[in-house]
Amino acid sequence: MSFIPHFSVHQVFIAPWTTDISSYGWIMLMTFLVGAACGLVGNYLILRRMALMGDAISHSVLPGIVVAFLVTGSRGTVPMFAGAVAAAVLTTVLIEVIHRHSVIKQDAAIGIAFSSLFALGVILIAVFADTVDLDQDCVLNGELPLIAVSPPMTLAGMTLGPPAVVRMGCVLFFSCGLILLFYKELLLSSFDPALASAMGLRSGWIHQLLMIWLSITVVSAFEAVGSILVIAMLILPGATAALISDRLVVRLGWSLVHAALSAVLGLHLSIGLDCSPSGAAVVAGSFLFGVAWVFGPQDGLVSRWWSRKEGRTETLV
Amino acid sequence: MIPLTSSSARQFLGIGGLFVGLNSLTTTLCAARIGDITETVWQAQALRFLTLADPSVRFAVLGTVLLGIVCGLLGGFLVVRRMSLVGDALSHAVLPGVALGFLWNMEKDPVAIFIGATVAGLLGTGLVHLITRTTRLKEDAALGMILAGFFGAGLCLMSMFQRLPTGNKTGIDKFLFGQASAIGAEDIRLMTVVTVLVLGLICVGYKEFLLVSFDPGFSKVCALPTRWLQHGLMLLLTFSVVIALQAVGAVLVSAMLITPAATAYLLTDRMHRMLIYGTLIGMLSGVTGAFLSFLGTHLPTGPFMVLSASGFFVVAFFFAPNRGVIPRWWMARSQRIRIVRENTLKAVYQILENEEFRRESVSLRELAERRRLTFDEVFREVRSLISVNFATAVDDSVALTPSGWQRAASIVRNHRLWELYLTHAVQMAPDHVHDDAEKIEHVLGEDAVRQLERRLEFADRDPHGRPIPAVQAIHGHPNGSREKRVTGYGKSS
Amino acid sequence: MDLSDRSSSLTTAPIGEESPLEVHDLTVAYRKKPVLWGVDLRAPAGKLIGILGPNGAGKSTLIKACMGLLPASAGWVKVFGKPINQSLLRVGYVPQRESVDWDFPVNVMDVVLMGRYGKLGLFRRPTAADRSCARDCLERVKMLPFADRQISNLSGGQQQRVFLARALAQESDLYFMDEPFAGVDAATETAIIELLHELRHQGKTLFVVHHDLPTARNYFDWLLLLNMRVVAFGPTEHVFTYDLLQKTYGGRLTILSEVAEAVRVKEA
Repeated sequence: MSFIPHFSVHQVFIAPWTTDISSYGWIMLMTFLVGAACGLVGNYLILRRMALMGDAISHSVLPGIVVAFLVTGSRGTVPMFAGAVAAAVLTTVLIEVIHRHSVIKQDAAIGIAFSSLFALGVILIAVFADTVDLDQDCVLNGELPLIAVSPPMTLAGMTLGPPAVVRMGCVLFFSCGLILLFYKELLLSSFDPALASAMGLRSGWIHQLLMIWLSITVVSAFEAVGSILVIAMLILPGATAALISDRLVVRLGWSLVHAALSAVLGLHLSIGLDCSPSGAAVVAGSFLFGVAWVFGPQDGLVSRWWSRKEGRTETLV
Repeated sequence: MIPLTSSSARQFLGIGGLFVGLNSLTTTLCAARIGDITETVWQAQALRFLTLADPSVRFAVLGTVLLGIVCGLLGGFLVVRRMSLVGDALSHAVLPGVALGFLWNMEKDPVAIFIGATVAGLLGTGLVHLITRTTRLKEDAALGMILAGFFGAGLCLMSMFQRLPTGNKTGIDKFLFGQASAIGAEDIRLMTVVTVLVLGLICVGYKEFLLVSFDPGFSKVCALPTRWLQHGLMLLLTFSVVIALQAVGAVLVSAMLITPAATAYLLTDRMHRMLIYGTLIGMLSGVTGAFLSFLGTHLPTGPFMVLSASGFFVVAFFFAPNRGVIPRWWMARSQRIRIVRENTLKAVYQILENEEFRRESVSLRELAERRRLTFDEVFREVRSLISVNFATAVDDSVALTPSGWQRAASIVRNHRLWELYLTHAVQMAPDHVHDDAEKIEHVLGEDAVRQLERRLEFADRDPHGRPIPAVQAIHGHPNGSREKRVTGYGKSS
Repeated sequence: MDLSDRSSSLTTAPIGEESPLEVHDLTVAYRKKPVLWGVDLRAPAGKLIGILGPNGAGKSTLIKACMGLLPASAGWVKVFGKPINQSLLRVGYVPQRESVDWDFPVNVMDVVLMGRYGKLGLFRRPTAADRSCARDCLERVKMLPFADRQISNLSGGQQQRVFLARALAQESDLYFMDEPFAGVDAATETAIIELLHELRHQGKTLFVVHHDLPTARNYFDWLLLLNMRVVAFGPTEHVFTYDLLQKTYGGRLTILSEVAEAVRVKEA
């Protein structure tokens, strides 16, 4: 068995859309849903220069989930969400406390807070390995391939699909609703927190709500792609969109496109190389970012090079 | 400073070696890898660890000490330059390099892994630099992207390994969360080389690295090779991440860079001390983490090291002298108590002054009226005065002791001098100066008061026409008749 | 490029002697946007020169580009007749106070010693002579009692004096100072300007970015009026005129009234 498997066009490009659609379809859909939901909240993180809070939260929800599991003994949606939200709030509070009451700056405070919580989570998993239905690999890698084989969820006699997919769909729906309802509040408080406070918006509350939204998104994506790749899903779509457009609405749209494309490309890549589908989705997403970086309309390397050439001739004239 | 740390490490190992000679019980376990032994109780494990009986324990301890030194030292520069999360990105970005290093000859070859990881780490930081320079994305987004993108690629490669028949035996998965017991002699050799390199370069170039971190622009004007120094620091950082990888794991290396250094930052305000403390804390957390992870079976080392480092941080955060939360809270509290006491003293003084010091004591009721407080509150204040021997009380009348008088007169003096200063020098209206003086009276030092006196030419009346108590009266040896009249205490003596 | 503009900016020092700073056609751009356009100047030696201009005029950019901290898109800079990287050791620098992190774990003495690093060379430790030089410099800005203080426990004026002491420790012949009067109290401002005059008397050349018009006339021997291009460069009495200031500050009304006031004071 060689490192790079034998390549067959049928197996890589055709089968996933025809004979194997029943399993690969779910994986693709799930990857898209994760990318879309994370990308939407990620746009705001990038706008607020808080991308690394995404990093922090995606690590620190782990002990929340483990504790919730140990307390309730179930892997149900509600305890997991509750644990994750509690851990996220704890993280933001810890970061705030550390950097407000000492010389430690925010970057180091973020690093200290999330790494401690994540370490705690890993230790809890290792110590209670017999009882916790999570392992370290799943924490990092996610269990995307298992989603398709899990028993589908039924509601009122209708077969909906694997529970993780249904949950992720609900989170995406909820994210879209949140953006539609609070578009201008979120925009204003991200752009100019001082003005937002002057107009009666509580910036602190919006920050905390954003963190809760983030933690809910992260915890539902966690199962599929693992904690670290969540960061990629949070930042890559928004960052790619930021290279394409200046306007927030357009950026939100492009980040959905990025999510869809990286889901499809990632799936083919993972079949072709026979590797972890979540890792492959991230590689595909990074590739798309690279494309936008090189060919983007404003910041793109090509257009910069072109305008520099133009600019040079202009000064000569 | 640095020779000290490495020599203490040598001493530490020397003691360990002594124990090996004494202890023959555990020598039979020598050959076994710790991860392989599953049927042991934690006491036995603890004994094995503390006696440093078998080579893998010794390697683990030595390895964690070395990585503690390197991480604590370089983390110091990272934390003060507000680049902590660069360490985070770097530690994730090395993963594909580790995987490719494995690919080199399909086994754990430390040198190949070292080279692969270093290349990947430098490529990652280079890309972050390029992204922030050529696009509108800020550093946080660029770091996050590189961190996750590289890590994703690394996971892909690792999942491809695990399909291979030899894949599961390579121990590549140990690079995610760290297993100190997997450190071998070859690894130790590499770690020692890197540690010596880092220690040597930081010792030799301390002054350059300090200036480049504090003020890069100025360092350029000083004709220092600023860019090379910055790249050099980044290269050393990459080295340290790579050697720490196996013991701590890619996910948590950044914590070993940040937390010990941040703890040291709470303990001192000089860079060289911060580096020494950071190194010591890094070593301590490394060894503690290794010890704790040895107590159970299949426990990852990295998280325990990180939690021990966080433990040190928490202790420093609360108890660090001068900078800790609790000492600062205590200082603020004593300050508050002192101000309340001084205000009470002042009130007593003013009541007596209004009656031209014909009496020596005031009643609690008078004091309560003057302070605009309830009877109970005033009672508490007076009790606080009595506790430091500033006042005595008979029934409900309060009299000041000599030391109380001294303090009361000095506080009134400070207040009135400051009011006078504001009306004279800053030319504020006399009716605006009181509130400011209320605050400043408690913080004026001896020198400032002397200076004020000189500037005001030893005036004896405040802007409202009331007398300013004289120095002699404050210092408690009233010898002139005027002072006696002014202070009241002189009158009674 | 507008030729008339160019000619007015060519007010220069007498040609012949070696100029401490010679700038030819210097253009600096951030991204695609130019910040400085075609700056030409030849500074006379032993003068205290103020750089004046509105916000965004490129005052800091000019001195940073002169020291090679920012890359120039076009033109060249010569310091004492040599390219900047060959004569850096004759250049002293006082950056803006906000450019560093004042929580950094160093004390006042450490910062002043940094001024000696350039002369010391790579990898050599500061000697006792360097320390005593640093102490002298601290004494000259009256900060010696604070030598052991951590730098965050200083007031704004004290921090500025520490930076000044560090520049003194460089023992340079040409100084660039970026807003040394920003956020300092009146007493410190007087002390700093006295020190600058003293340095000038020792034959050093000083470029000082300044933005308070009324005081500029009294402080500086020469003025450089800058607004992306050099509007005027010459002795204060020739340059500090209503027309030139108006040309520098454009149609900014509040500043114009300030200018009018300053000129009125001058003419009275």
